[in-house]
Amino acid sequence: MRTTALPAAEATRPRTVIVGVLLATGAVFMVFASLVAVYVQQRQAARAAGLEWFPEGTVELGPAGMMMMTLMLSMVTVQWAVQAARTEDRPHGLIALGVTLLFGAAVINQFWFVYQDTAFAIDGGRAELLFYAVTGSFIAMLIGGMAMVAVTTIRSLMGPFGRELAHGVQAAAVYWHMCVLCYFLVWYVVFITK
Amino acid sequence: MTLTEPAIADSEAAPAAAPESSVEPSATSSMLAQPFVTSEGAAVGRLFVVVSLLLALGTSVIGVLLSLGRTEAVAPADMFAGLNAYFRMWTLYRVSFMLLVVMPLLLGVAMAVVPSQVGAGNLAFPRAALASFWSWLIGALIIVVSVFAGGGWGAIDGVTGNENDAMALTLLGTGMVIVALLLGAVSVATTVISLRQTGMSLLDVPPLAWSMLVAAAVWLFTLPVAIANIVLIYADLRGRPAIAFGRAESPDIWLQLDWLVEQPAVYIMAVPVLGIAVEAVGAAVEARSSRPEAITVIVGLFGLLAVGGWSQDYFTAPQDLRDGLVYVAFGLAAVLPLVALAGGAAELVLRGSKTPDRLLDTRMLGAGAALKLLGAAALVGAFRVIEPLDLLETTATWAVFHGVVAAGLIAGVVALRNWSHELLIRPLSQVVGRGAVALLLGGGGLLVLSDFISGFLVDDPDLMALALDGSAVLNVVAFAGSVLVAAGAAAAVVGTVSALRPPAEAERVGGGLT
Repeated sequence: MRTTALPAAEATRPRTVIVGVLLATGAVFMVFASLVAVYVQQRQAARAAGLEWFPEGTVELGPAGMMMMTLMLSMVTVQWAVQAARTEDRPHGLIALGVTLLFGAAVINQFWFVYQDTAFAIDGGRAELLFYAVTGSFIAMLIGGMAMVAVTTIRSLMGPFGRELAHGVQAAAVYWHMCVLCYFLVWYVVFITK
Repeated sequence: MTLTEPAIADSEAAPAAAPESSVEPSATSSMLAQPFVTSEGAAVGRLFVVVSLLLALGTSVIGVLLSLGRTEAVAPADMFAGLNAYFRMWTLYRVSFMLLVVMPLLLGVAMAVVPSQVGAGNLAFPRAALASFWSWLIGALIIVVSVFAGGGWGAIDGVTGNENDAMALTLLGTGMVIVALLLGAVSVATTVISLRQTGMSLLDVPPLAWSMLVAAAVWLFTLPVAIANIVLIYADLRGRPAIAFGRAESPDIWLQLDWLVEQPAVYIMAVPVLGIAVEAVGAAVEARSSRPEAITVIVGLFGLLAVGGWSQDYFTAPQDLRDGLVYVAFGLAAVLPLVALAGGAAELVLRGSKTPDRLLDTRMLGAGAALKLLGAAALVGAFRVIEPLDLLETTATWAVFHGVVAAGLIAGVVALRNWSHELLIRPLSQVVGRGAVALLLGGGGLLVLSDFISGFLVDDPDLMALALDGSAVLNVVAFAGSVLVAAGAAAAVVGTVSALRPPAEAERVGGGLT
């Protein structure tokens, strides 16, 4: 009796682009986590010394909460783009990527409002300096995420929208989710616990 | 027969064609353009190795001048036109050896060797790797130029307006260099994780590839913390002198970054040294470890003990952190993996061929020297964290640093001999290799010894340890050590430059034992 030997299944490796972006995302998260750690430590030290951190009423929770909501919606839209790439659905994919970019721009606009509203001077003191260092770094990260989404959008406009692009969209989504996680830290540490 | 042999065979085709193409005019122009357009991981790795060795020579010359300033021959203030200039060079020497010499040297070796070790055709993201080289080089140039223009990482007697701008430039260069090294590390780590041969588990990868994966992970955890420091320092510079985080010391910029060149973070440079040493010993005596999984665990443990972003004490009271149990435990425990690895290397020697020419091979001597210096550095580090000895804020800090740096340089020399084929060069000659190893071992040993003993002599030294009463002889010993390190670096540069031709097949040294 003759038996047929089936070839062994190939071991599955995580996709190169996603692994690379995951590692880079981890590094970017470490930068941000370090900044937040210094912020919390300095605030703790100021309070222990009986000093006021921010003057009462200068940092409002309303706009910050709106930004949190906006970014949570953007998490949905970026996953929508991932799903559209998997199913090779170009119209939905382009809409999802476009709306994600719009949400990112909206958050930057809201931060501009917060900066105008608080009217802090960067050399006003430790609290003000750290406020700008933490939120400014977040904005830089968000712009990086928007650039990734924009590149993916341009690639999808210029070529086929399908499985080849899916890894790029997934990589952008991984980074985007990390940005939202970082904003969650900002929201809680800077705006809620003040 | 090894798992990596097929990949090595693939990579052999490229160097064989190179000598013929070099005589064609169009090929000559493409050779000139290669550093700007190459997508070969090995070529990028070679660029890193060559440039970092040249920078090693420059940095070690600065080290000679600095140690001359510690002797009674020349006053430090006269050495570089003032104490501030001396401080700039003092900080440049430390940052340069870490970010511009040892880390890129070992990263370059990994970029060239790791793909063939794991059976990948090329490095993952080769263009990102090339971008990492060029941004590292531009960042390095910015650092050097800005330091000579009056920048640097702080000033002893307060920061003036002009210095402020130059310091901002130094910070930009430092940030660029760190980002570039991280980009290169991501390339190498992704190659190991995602592009290794089917059927090869992570525990099966050769020691160098594993050590570089561990090193990349540790770098990704540690170096971003320094970037956060740089962001804060830059913002702080804009608000100076109002803020400075309330610290009275003038060189407070350096005090925010010095944790990077102190233990435990200083060991992040040394993680790949372990992989290189084990593989070099194995290749020299043609033996394989009976317990490769133990080597894997040891390297992983050393990497874990090198994670150091948490150890910075600028924002807290120093005694809170450095007298803490975790800091002491990290300092003491770092010795253990090195002792275990030395045992693993000894086992290889016992199992392998012990003819005199093998035992006196550059790889064998170099691996032994690198492990000895690293062990000495870790031992000093262990003494340093023992509170009653009171060595924390003394020159013992720099004994650890010098031991790790010298070990890293020696590992680079060993790699040039062992993986010349992968680095697309001819093998480093035995005479030059042995000479460089001996000089670096002697110089590094003298620096470790003098800095360690000096640490016991003065209770409360100044930041640069210039006023070390009673240690005049030790300062002369440190000077001699610096001269030997510079001579070792020069020997490595000369050997590398003379080997900068593609290798002939007969000249291959590694013998497939990657």
